[in-house]
Amino acid sequence: MDLELNDVQRELGSTVRRLLRTKYNAEARDALLASEQGFSRDMWNQYAELGLLSLPFAEEYDGAGMGFAEVAVVMEEFGKALVLEPYLSTVVLGGGLVAAAGSDAQKKDILPGIVSGERLLAFAGYEPAGRYELSAPATKAAESGEGATITGEKTAVLGAPDADLFVVSAATDSGVGLFLVEAGAGGVTVSPRVQADGLRTGSVLFDGAQAQRLGSGDATAAIQAVIDTANAALAAEAVGAMEASLMMTADYLKTREQFGAPIGRNQALQHRAADAYATLEGAKSMALYAKLAITGAEGDGAASEAGKDRHRDILAAKLVIDQAAHEISQESIQLHGGIGMTMEYPIGHYAKRLTVIPRTFDDQDGVTQELAALGGLIEPSAMDV
Amino acid sequence: MDNLLSPEELEFAEKMREFYRTEIPEDIRFRNATGQELSKDDIVTTQQILNKHGYAVPNWPVEWGGQDWTPVQRHIWLEEMQLANVPSPLPFNASMVGPVIATFGSQEIKERFLPKTANIDIWWSQGFSEPNAGSDLASLKTTAVKKGDHYIVNGQKTWTTLGQYGDWIFMLVRTDPDVKKQAGISFLLIDMKSPGVTVRPIELIDGGHEVNEVFFDNVEVPVENLVGEENKGWTYAKFLLGNERTGIARIGQSKVNLARVKAYAATTKTARGTLLDDPLFSARLTKVEAELTALEFTQLRMLSTQVAGSEKPDPRSSVLKLRGSQLQQDITELLVDVLGPQGLDFVDDARLPGGFTDLPPAAVDALRTYFNYRKVSIYGGASEIQRGIISKAILGL
Ligand SMILES: Cc1cc2nc3c(=O)[nH]c(=O)nc-3n(C[C@H](O)[C@H](O)[C@H](O)COP(=O)(O)OP(=O)(O)OC[C@H]3O[C@@H](n4cnc5c(N)ncnc54)[C@H](O)[C@@H]3O)c2cc1C
Repeated sequence: MDLELNDVQRELGSTVRRLLRTKYNAEARDALLASEQGFSRDMWNQYAELGLLSLPFAEEYDGAGMGFAEVAVVMEEFGKALVLEPYLSTVVLGGGLVAAAGSDAQKKDILPGIVSGERLLAFAGYEPAGRYELSAPATKAAESGEGATITGEKTAVLGAPDADLFVVSAATDSGVGLFLVEAGAGGVTVSPRVQADGLRTGSVLFDGAQAQRLGSGDATAAIQAVIDTANAALAAEAVGAMEASLMMTADYLKTREQFGAPIGRNQALQHRAADAYATLEGAKSMALYAKLAITGAEGDGAASEAGKDRHRDILAAKLVIDQAAHEISQESIQLHGGIGMTMEYPIGHYAKRLTVIPRTFDDQDGVTQELAALGGLIEPSAMDV
Repeated sequence: MDNLLSPEELEFAEKMREFYRTEIPEDIRFRNATGQELSKDDIVTTQQILNKHGYAVPNWPVEWGGQDWTPVQRHIWLEEMQLANVPSPLPFNASMVGPVIATFGSQEIKERFLPKTANIDIWWSQGFSEPNAGSDLASLKTTAVKKGDHYIVNGQKTWTTLGQYGDWIFMLVRTDPDVKKQAGISFLLIDMKSPGVTVRPIELIDGGHEVNEVFFDNVEVPVENLVGEENKGWTYAKFLLGNERTGIARIGQSKVNLARVKAYAATTKTARGTLLDDPLFSARLTKVEAELTALEFTQLRMLSTQVAGSEKPDPRSSVLKLRGSQLQQDITELLVDVLGPQGLDFVDDARLPGGFTDLPPAAVDALRTYFNYRKVSIYGGASEIQRGIISKAILGL
C-alpha cells in the first residue's frame, strides 16, 4: 500500500507552487480578472516552459509521456492559487479528446501546438436544451468525402473566447462524432461570457462550418473517458481550493476578535471548523480515489469493464467532492462574516470556484442518480436473504 | 391560512391584494419578481405610492402616518405585499430610524424628520457596523465629541447598505469612552453631504455594489441631531434591532421565489421529462416547501401570542431569523440548479445575439442572488448569534 506522491510528482508540485507564489498573488490575479482576456498568456508560456502543458501526452507528440497523476498534482496547486488560465479546457478536455479519439496524423498535427503553448482548444459539447447531456447532440455533421460541415449551437463552452480550435460533438450516421473546427473558419460565431469564478466561457454557433472528423466511429466512449478524467482533474483542483479556503478560515478564527476575544474561542465555531476539516479529508481521499481510477484505467474505453468501473468510481468521487465544496465554500464565508462576501478578500473568490465546480459536467442530483442507477459501490448481500 | 382569518380580515387581505396589483406599477413589480436590480427610483416611487395611501409605515404611531391595525392586519399587509412582488418600503426608513425617532425623539426632531422619512424624501442609511464592531456592535469606536453646539465625529462605518443613495445616516457613536461600552453610545443623525463624510464602494462577490464604507473626518454635526438622550443610544439600538427581526423571515417572498423555481423547472426538459418530475430535484424542492410551511406556522403561532395580548419580545423571533435565512438561501440554490450548465455565468442580459438561443430567464439573477444571499445569515444578527440567543434566552443554557 503506497498512496504517497513519488519524488518526481513532489518536485513538480513544489515547482508549480513556487511559481504561483511569486507570480499569482491576489493582486496579480485581480488584475487578470479585470483584464479583457481574463488570463495571462505570459503565465501560459511559463507553464509550457515548465512542461505542464505536455504532461499527459505521449513523447512522440512532444509530450512528457507522463500521466494523469502528474496532471492532478498541477491541478491541486492551480486550485490553491485559483489559476485562471485555460488548462482544463485546452490540456485536459481538448488535448484529451484529440489524444483519445484522434488519428496518429491528427495527434501529430495538434498536440505539439498544445505542448508549446501556441494553441488553445475548447470542447464544444453542451447544448442549450440539453443540460449536462452529451450523448445526444442536436448539432449535426454533414460528411462528404474527406471533409464535413457542422451546424448547431453549443453552450457552456469553457475557454471558447480564446480557443484556436474547437472539438465539437455532433450527430452523424455512425453515432456521436467529434469534429475539429478552426475558430477562424467561416460560419463560426462565438458569444463570449464569463463564469462567476472568472473563467472565460461562451456559446458557439456553427453554421455550416468546415470541419474535420476527429478519428472515426462513435466517440461516445471517448467523450465519457475524457469527462471522467476532467472530473478527476476538477476533484484535485477543488481539494486545492478547499484546503486553501479552510486554512485561511482557521487563521481568521484565530485573529478576528469580537467580544474581547478571538472568535475562534467559541466552541460553536471550533466545531464547525472541525467538521469542515473532516469534510476536507474525505474530499482529499476521493480526489485520490479518482486519480487512481483514472491512472488505473488509462486508455480503457468507457464501454470496457475497466472503463465502466472507472466511470462509477469517478461518480462516487464527484459526489463527495461536490458536497465538500458546497459545505466548505458556504462555511468559509459564514465563519468570516461580512468580509467573506467581498471581492477584496480571497475567501469569496474560492467560494465562487467551489460553487461552479460542483455544477460543471454534471450536478449533485445527476451524479447521485447515475451512481445509484449503476448499483452504487457495494453489492447487496445479507446472510439471511 | 385563509380559514384562520375572520371575514373582516379576509376582506382586508383582499383589499391589500387588489391595491398592490393595481396601484404599484407593473414594471416595478415585474423587475422585483424576476430578480432584477431595483433602481433607487423604483424603491422611491413605490414607497411614495404606499405612503400616499397610508401603507408605507403602518407600524408607526397613527399621528405620524401609522395605522391602528391589529397584529394580524400588519401581517397581512406585509405578506400580501411580498406575494404581489411589491418592493418593501426602505427598511432603514420604515422599520429602523422611523420607529426610533417616533419613540424616543423630541417633538421637534419628529416634525423635522418623520414625514420626510415616511415619504422617502430622505433616504436613510444605517451606520452601525464598523470594521471591528460586527457581531460585537457595542465595541464601536466612532467618536462624537461635543464642542459648543456641535459634535465632532471621527471614525469609520462599514457595510453601509445602499449608502451611495443615502441622504442621511443614522449612527451609533461613542460619546463617553470612560464607561462600560454599552453605556457610552449615542444615536446621532448625520447629513451625508456634510464636509468630511466620504463614501467608498465595496464590491461584493455577486458583482454588485450594495454596500459601502463611510468615513468621518472631523464632521461637524449640530447637537440638535441627537436622538433622545446622550449615552442612551444602546437602548434605542436594541429597540431598533428588535424591530428589524420581525418580518425578517420573508416568508411571502420565499413562497414567491419557490413558485418561480417550480415554474422554471416545469419548463426545463431532461432526458426523462421535465426537471420538475426529476425525483431528486423534486424531493429537494418538496422538502423546502414543507419546511417553509412549518416556518409560516411558527410565525402565525407568534402572531397569535401577540393577538392574545402579549407585548413581550418573543425569543422565537430568533427561530424565524435562523430558519428563514436558511430557507431563503436554499431556495436561491434550487434556482441555480434549475439552470444547469447555463447558470454558471455572470450575465447582464439573458438575450444573446441573433442566431443564438437566449439563455434561460433566471440566468441573469440566479447565481448572483445565491452569492448575495449569503448575507442573510450574516446580517441582522448572524445565525450563530441567533443560536446563542435561543440557547440562552429559551433553553437557559
Ligand atoms: C450585505 C450586508 C449588508 C449589511 N448592511 C449593513 C448596514 O446597512 N448597516 C450596518 O450597520 N451594518 C450592515 N451589515 C453588517 C452586519 O450587521 C455585520 O456583517 C454583522 O453584524 C456581522 O459582523 P461581521 O461581519 O463583522 O462578522 P463577525 O462579527 O466578525 O463574525 C464572524 C463570524 O463569527 C461569528 N461570531 C461572532 N461572535 C460570535 C459568538 N459570540 N459566538 C459564536 N459565533 C460568533 C459570526 O456569527 C460569524 O460567523 C451588513 C452586512 C452585510 C454582509
